[in-house]
Amino acid sequence: MGHNIWKIGGFALIAYVFVMVFTVPMGPGLLELSNTGNATTQVDSDRPLPEYFLTGFGTHWSSQPDQLQVIVRSKTNLSKLEVIEVIDDTHARIGVSLPYSLPSKSWDVLINHPIDGTLLLENGLFLSDRFIDESLTLPAISIVEFEAKLPFHFPYQPRILETIRNLMLHVPMWFTMFVLMGIAFVASIKQLATARNLAEDEKSEAAVKVGLLFGFLGLITGSFWARFTWGAWWVDDPQLNGALVTVLVYSGYMVLRNSLDNAPLRARLSAVYNLFAFIILIILLMVLPRFTESLHPGKGGNPGFNSYDLDSALRAAFYPAVIGWIFIGIWMYRINLRFTRLQKLLTWTHCSQF
Amino acid sequence: MNSGRAHKVTPPSWSRYVHLTRHAFRMEFRKKNGLAGLILFAICAVYTCYQVAGSRADAETWNALAWVVLLFSAFNAVSKPWPEDAPEMRSYLIHVLHPREWILARMTFFAMLLSGITCIVFVAFTLFMGSEDLSTGRALWFFCGMQATSIAMASLLAMIQTLAIRANGGFGLIAVLGLPLIIPVILIATQYGMDVLNGVSFADTAHNLLFLATLSGGFGALGYILFPYLWRD
Repeated sequence: MGHNIWKIGGFALIAYVFVMVFTVPMGPGLLELSNTGNATTQVDSDRPLPEYFLTGFGTHWSSQPDQLQVIVRSKTNLSKLEVIEVIDDTHARIGVSLPYSLPSKSWDVLINHPIDGTLLLENGLFLSDRFIDESLTLPAISIVEFEAKLPFHFPYQPRILETIRNLMLHVPMWFTMFVLMGIAFVASIKQLATARNLAEDEKSEAAVKVGLLFGFLGLITGSFWARFTWGAWWVDDPQLNGALVTVLVYSGYMVLRNSLDNAPLRARLSAVYNLFAFIILIILLMVLPRFTESLHPGKGGNPGFNSYDLDSALRAAFYPAVIGWIFIGIWMYRINLRFTRLQKLLTWTHCSQF
Repeated sequence: MNSGRAHKVTPPSWSRYVHLTRHAFRMEFRKKNGLAGLILFAICAVYTCYQVAGSRADAETWNALAWVVLLFSAFNAVSKPWPEDAPEMRSYLIHVLHPREWILARMTFFAMLLSGITCIVFVAFTLFMGSEDLSTGRALWFFCGMQATSIAMASLLAMIQTLAIRANGGFGLIAVLGLPLIIPVILIATQYGMDVLNGVSFADTAHNLLFLATLSGGFGALGYILFPYLWRD
């Protein structure tokens, strides 16, 4: 196997990741609790009961509708809402049976169900027409907590929903680009240090070419994700700008290479520029985003992702995806390198015939 | 002539560096049309901005235009090849100079030249575009930020200029290679300028100046280390 490890390992891991991505279901979550404007009259009170419409995502409410509990929470206060009717697995009509005087306007919504376990919708209920007195406390209630009985699933994330599968495509592209640009960086240093032959120069050219491809793929997958979560194909954000500028810098490297005919000079000049380019990559993607506001996940410290957003199911797909894409990147780089060497050899043989 | 190898030249000496810097200035002031061209470009750029945005530009536009004018003036200043960059001149200088003296002299010259141009840009800008958003103290901090930016640009562009000339590319190649690399500097500078214009206290935005100083130090060090590889044949 030997040199085939990159190809076989990469494709095996990516095949496994794609099976995971297309077969593992999403976990349940809560989408919204919206006011319908209707009200039902209560039996023991003269005030009408406002009716709300609860929408879930991937929940199983119709299997045990009588076990569904809807609880609202504000600080330590808990209160139960009435379930008027469970319409189907993901829709239910809820009566907001809260008193007129409340300790808070904004409430978290918690749903308890024997299959889904406990689901949380932060600040899901906002009551503007009540009397607010923060010193009030609501009477304590008893809650039956359920353990979720769910198959292996990806975690529910608000706004991201099913596109969380893009994590296995978008993030590894940048990791692979980092690795390839790192290879090019080391090759450039070696090229400057030895300067005798052009082997290291060929390496850095091949690595930058493949790294640029992964950079473009990272931009494209990121653009799709931005369209879904932020509503636009491109937004003005330090992380996105940094990524684009990095790709531009390395495109400049290719322009520089193409504008030079003298091979030893090209090797030296492009190696020098490549060192600048790698430093800029580090500054733009790892340093600057830490000091600026950003929409991109994991800002304010870590420009990648929050470790607590990853659960065991995501890890089982994400880590193999990272390693697999890096293997594929290295495989492509090695093919590119061999191709360049063969091309050079062929040109030399061809020329020597005349 | 000694063995003809570039690295056989004596190690970098301070006196040769000072001489080269003075030589660069002497050459610049001898052909006054080059210097006049740079100043004219800066003033024309400011006047164009004034025609486009008017004197009542809001703080964000003011800030953006100021940095763009500074950026283009800097690129204009480094776009001119030096007589010493001609191949036959270089193949002579290789034997009498250490390349590190040369790059240091170049960086110093560009830093001073860009500082001067920054002064002109700043004065012209406040004259034409107004300075309602800047009190006297804030104008001083804005000016300091511009000076720090011009030094950071000089330390990078001295290197990029040589790179582009060695690759037989003109102004186009300097722009293609230099503009993406200069973007971090411009990002930090615009953020600093916006903070100053918005009245953020200096202590809260001084870290941007520190970033700029770090970047110029980093670019300068990279240039100092790598320049001999560019210069040799």
